[in-house]
Amino acid sequence: MRPVLAVALALAMTALLIAAAGKNPLLAYAALGRGALGSWDRIGVGLNKATPYVLTGIGVALCFRARVINIGGEGQIALGGLAATWIALTFPQAPPVVLPLLALTAGALAGTGWAALAAAIRLHRGVHEVLGTLLLNFVGVLIVSEALQGALGEPGAGFPQSPLLPRASWLPRVLSGSDLHAGILIALIVVVAAHALLWRTPFGFRMRVLGASVPAAVYAGISPPGVLLGVMSLAGALAGLAGAIEVLGVHYRLIDGFSHGFGFNAVAIALLGALNPITVLPAGLFFGFLETGALAMQRAVGVPTPLVAVIQGLTMIFILSAMGLSARRSKV
Amino acid sequence: MDVVAELLAAALRIATPLLFAALGGILSERAGVFAVGLEGMMLAGAFAGVIATHALGHAGLGLIASVVGGGLLSAVVAVVAVRYCADQMVTGLAVNILALGLTSFLLRGLFGRGEAPIIRVTPLTSISIPVLADIPVVGPLLFRQPALTYAGLALVVMLFVAFQRTQAGLTLRAVGENPTAAFASGANPIRVRFLAVIGAGALAGVGGAVLSLQQVGTFTDGMTNGRGYLALAAVIVGRWSPVGALVGCLLFGSADALQLRIQGLRLPISSYVIQMLPYVVSLAVLAGLGRGARLPAAIGTPFFREPR
Repeated sequence: MRPVLAVALALAMTALLIAAAGKNPLLAYAALGRGALGSWDRIGVGLNKATPYVLTGIGVALCFRARVINIGGEGQIALGGLAATWIALTFPQAPPVVLPLLALTAGALAGTGWAALAAAIRLHRGVHEVLGTLLLNFVGVLIVSEALQGALGEPGAGFPQSPLLPRASWLPRVLSGSDLHAGILIALIVVVAAHALLWRTPFGFRMRVLGASVPAAVYAGISPPGVLLGVMSLAGALAGLAGAIEVLGVHYRLIDGFSHGFGFNAVAIALLGALNPITVLPAGLFFGFLETGALAMQRAVGVPTPLVAVIQGLTMIFILSAMGLSARRSKV
Repeated sequence: MDVVAELLAAALRIATPLLFAALGGILSERAGVFAVGLEGMMLAGAFAGVIATHALGHAGLGLIASVVGGGLLSAVVAVVAVRYCADQMVTGLAVNILALGLTSFLLRGLFGRGEAPIIRVTPLTSISIPVLADIPVVGPLLFRQPALTYAGLALVVMLFVAFQRTQAGLTLRAVGENPTAAFASGANPIRVRFLAVIGAGALAGVGGAVLSLQQVGTFTDGMTNGRGYLALAAVIVGRWSPVGALVGCLLFGSADALQLRIQGLRLPISSYVIQMLPYVVSLAVLAGLGRGARLPAAIGTPFFREPR
């Protein structure tokens, strides 16, 4: 109930903002709802939007479970997209099923590497992962810009982007007549797998014990550095996969800045999803639909899209307050 | 020689917004509250400063608005993280997202009829200190700066003295090290942390004003662009001391100034690789300092009174 309440409070507060901007909040939210869910086509777009959110959000949620704050989603997605693009452009002759699989794997590996780098800096040099992952975000995004400037760029495009990827590398559409691609299926598989990992495997158990109490975990022979490296790599793999899916399923090319904002959204989604893979799914869907709906709202009623970030921030603040208060109560 | 002087001047210019935010960060972290929200507080200050200067026609009032803007956002952190004992780092992230959304929304919704308007204000001018400004090389560099730059440097000294020599500074540090003991000796840790966090927001707000009012003269979406996080890195590099933070900010400022300089030289290195410099330098410095860092002992730990 708590996340629903937090969202309702956030929507109520942003309604005041909409009113302050001289628009009718009810009309604005109606336009938002229509833009998000008004037709199968819109639903398909929303699901596509939600796919990377669900994947990255699950990674961040698993990190939180083990007391690791990973805000490096943006950089990990950027490099995942870059690796997938490189594979797709380098092996255009590969068979149609093999090529996307290869590109997705490369994306996941690149994301893993980038996250593991932050984990290694944390473990060996004591730089907290909040700063490590954040600074690596800037570097990762600049690496993509650099690649688009050079080897992977489309000459004469006028915008930093790669050439169109070979058709064989594109993710297949799931519904004919809509933009919905196979990424959502991957996200659903990941939801189930992450749930099983967290609740049914020794590694998941280690994560949960570490999250509950570090001394207890150490006493039980669990190595905190090992869990940190494992969970960060996993989150990096999911974010890299998300980046590859964005490239292969939505844009069909690498575009400068395509990863912008994903990392912070993932943190909001993980919190809204109560750090549980199964419930991160509706949280990710909510934010996905919120964004597609907000674009329609801006066109129809003229309420600016940054409202989405306000709703996200407020939702986080309400959930954090409730989490903090209940943790305090359980301690007393 | 001129090149070095120019480079140092640029480094000081770039370091000034970071410096205010970093000093705020020290205030908050020394009291035991992680200052991840500096980025959002700077942004709120930058926004409030430009809007108030534009609306009221006076840069001084704009500066006050920056203090209020940053302070209001940090009050959210204070309530959620200090009073409600929520995770401090994630609360910081949340207000960063909130500030980014709120400033962009208000800019369009209240002032631009849906579009992002460009609000220009006259940037604050430099103040030359007579005689001293005429010293070759050093003079223009150190004594021909805008007012807020002097204020930032003065604040370093003031904070240093406050931490070492005043009762208030001692209490603040005690709360950051051991709030239970501080409570037992008569201090109110929650109130101290509240004030420290709001002070941090006010200072970071001024940092934002330096950026928007003193340097750019307008507000653009997300114009702080990671500076709040660099300020946080400077706090850690400077080992939670005001003078250390100044050194850290100047270091990052130099890296950025060098980056801009190298781009101007049209070397055969790509500009994107050069743009990585400030981030790589801060990572390298943080990593190079390694594990020696001793955080305030009670940082991140919420304080609440046991019910009687």
